[in-house]
Amino acid sequence: MEALNANEQREFQNIYERKQLKDFMTVYSRLIQNCFESCVNDFTSKTLASREQGCVMRCVDKHQKAAERVQLRFTEQNVALMQSGQIPGQ
Amino acid sequence: MSFLPGFGRRQPSSAEKIANAEAEMDMIGEMMARLNQSCLKKCIQPDYHEGDLTKGESVCLDRCVGKFFEVQMKISEKMQGDAAMKQGM
Repeated sequence: MEALNANEQREFQNIYERKQLKDFMTVYSRLIQNCFESCVNDFTSKTLASREQGCVMRCVDKHQKAAERVQLRFTEQNVALMQSGQIPGQ
Repeated sequence: MSFLPGFGRRQPSSAEKIANAEAEMDMIGEMMARLNQSCLKKCIQPDYHEGDLTKGESVCLDRCVGKFFEVQMKISEKMQGDAAMKQGM
């Protein structure tokens, strides 16, 4: 991949930030759906029971920890792969 | 390509270089999202008795990432091999 000059880097940075925001929104809505589906199954009331609230909080915690761990391992693998020179073009 | 500087190749325009960088970023982002979804689904019990990862879930996630990578490498190798064979015919 060709190195980007300062102007190009700035433009890329803008694109990158917009993507980050979009990615975050995707992760966020997926998290809501996931935790809703796992934790809320009783519709005899229109508000969350404390059991359901607790479940949602734990669900978010767990998903965040899992995502962090996966990200960490993914980065490790990528670094190892690049060092071994197996990705073409790197 | 840092070897063969400029050989038989014109300099890419700014727009092309940025598009390339963007494509690479998209690919990594897409892979990361899929990896996350797959391994979460395979490793996390959806009962949420606790907010911390259990030992078993953690180990499962580590192995899941490793295997996901391995699958990706294998498929990439196979597709390259298949393409090379086709060209050789």
